[in-house]
Amino acid sequence: MYKMKFHTEKTIHSFPRFLFMANTIVSIRHLAKQFGSFQALKEINLEVKQGDIYGFLGQNGAGKSTTMRCMLSLIRPDAGDIELFGLSLSKHREQILARIGCLIEKPDFYKYLSAFKNLQILSRISGKASSTQEIYDMLEFVGLAGREKDLVGGFSHGMRQRLGIAQTLLHDPDLIVLDEPTTGLDPQGIIDMRNLILRLNKEKNKTIILSSHNLHEVELICNRMVIIHQGQSLVEGSVEDLLQEEDQIIRVQMTPDGQTQAIAVLGNQFPQLKYQVLGLDSLEIQLAKVAIPNLNAAFVAAGISIFAMEAKRKLEDYFINLVSA
Amino acid sequence: MIFLYSTYNELIKIALKPRSYLGLAAITGLVGIILFALHADGMSMISFVTSSFEQTLRFEGNVLNGNLVAFIILQMLIVHIPLLVALVTGDLISGEAAMGTLRMLATKPISRKQLLGSKFLAGGIYTLLIVIWLGVLAVVVGRWIFGPGDLMVLNSDGLVIIQEHDVLWRYAGAFCVAFFALLTISNLSICLSCFSDNSIGPIVSTMAIILLFTIIGTLDVPVFDPIRPFLFTTHMAAWRSFFEDPMPWGAIQNSLIVMLIHHVLFIVVAMYAFNRKDITV
Repeated sequence: MYKMKFHTEKTIHSFPRFLFMANTIVSIRHLAKQFGSFQALKEINLEVKQGDIYGFLGQNGAGKSTTMRCMLSLIRPDAGDIELFGLSLSKHREQILARIGCLIEKPDFYKYLSAFKNLQILSRISGKASSTQEIYDMLEFVGLAGREKDLVGGFSHGMRQRLGIAQTLLHDPDLIVLDEPTTGLDPQGIIDMRNLILRLNKEKNKTIILSSHNLHEVELICNRMVIIHQGQSLVEGSVEDLLQEEDQIIRVQMTPDGQTQAIAVLGNQFPQLKYQVLGLDSLEIQLAKVAIPNLNAAFVAAGISIFAMEAKRKLEDYFINLVSA
Repeated sequence: MIFLYSTYNELIKIALKPRSYLGLAAITGLVGIILFALHADGMSMISFVTSSFEQTLRFEGNVLNGNLVAFIILQMLIVHIPLLVALVTGDLISGEAAMGTLRMLATKPISRKQLLGSKFLAGGIYTLLIVIWLGVLAVVVGRWIFGPGDLMVLNSDGLVIIQEHDVLWRYAGAFCVAFFALLTISNLSICLSCFSDNSIGPIVSTMAIILLFTIIGTLDVPVFDPIRPFLFTTHMAAWRSFFEDPMPWGAIQNSLIVMLIHHVLFIVVAMYAFNRKDITV
């Protein structure tokens, strides 16, 4: 089985103890990058804490991948400071990269080499060369047992993604950076990937940064996020806190009679609430989270049969409001 | 240490890439054809060359021997080998960029200088293997099939005859200089590879530069006279100097210096470009 090691077992790149204790793993300030006449990043500011599952949220071309590439020194920023583990990336590049595992865009490997050979080659220059057994264990961990000797050229996208995760984890990094990790995966693959990310975070205490344009994914997995739009970080913080800033929108399903009664209840008891009639049997109501039990109680007291009461995806609205503003 | 690991990785990749064997296979095939042709009809070819001297000289013994065959092979193939070298070395950076693997390599805790340095070293080792393989086929197999004998070389100054016991060290020296010349091609193609994200570009560019410089070098136009001595292509055939009598050590040294300057230039330019390269693919 794949065994994760604790930081204290690291011998190759030792860091002062206080850095492990430090809460901030990644700090980016005033990051800017221009490609020719295109300003890819204008002003990116963010902070990732230890133990976070941190989401980079934004539309295609917003600057998520460019920010990640700057973080991994694939791209040289024009301006700004990037610090990881309390160290400046420009001055301590190799030390920092030894503690990061990443999968940027699609997982590309040497197609003419086997899965095992690919991992072996990459592990030799990852700061901690893995033994044959460790590589086999890792391939088993990501569900590629039995395919070790197969050429990667014959692998499906999902299998390559798994191999990508294997190379990301092989040297036991403290920080994992995943750029759109579920892109191109089938529904089961997406669920597996989400579960793997959650497991790595909860069981192995890994800090994870992932980018996505899938709002639902970020809402499901991440505890903190940044919304990047046109090269700028618009908002950053805890997903829960950011969503608390706005009213909840709930969809209430009932009988057609119930709908008429519910409208009356809203008019009489909650005149301040905004609502929208959906068809003959549903209402969409905007209200604060704390007011939901009161509203529910009022409907029940009025004898309205409620079939369903569900919160609309808030992040979607939050995101759309933010970027359209 | 990580530099050695990276070099080992590069050698493994070269060894397991089918394209790497194209060069070796091509050399084997071409040498095989030349050996067969010389074995079948070599004497008539030699007679054609020696006929002009037959009024003043008398040739005795085995003129078409392994040493002459090796010289003919070298003469014929050294022109084509740059392409075979560039086919592999021109792909070392741009091929990784095209495949997407450069992204992965560049996020590992190895400096870009070390990463590129390991590619230069691996490219050099591959070039050396190509030259050694050519040497084995030309000299060892040539002597095995045609036997030893004095080497008769026709150059611009006339006919030079080098005795059998004096030949092998000259071949060793000639192959070393030929390797140094091909290393220039290897370094040039790796340098060009840093500026491209597709594998064909640097290979074609390398050949285009060789072609251009060769044309400039051979065109008998005075305007090119000042730059001709500084073109690396002018010195690619410096290996031939080992088969002159007396041997022009000064010219060989000069050629090695010019090529060395090109090596340094290509490596420095590549290091600078690769260090600043934004890996966006």
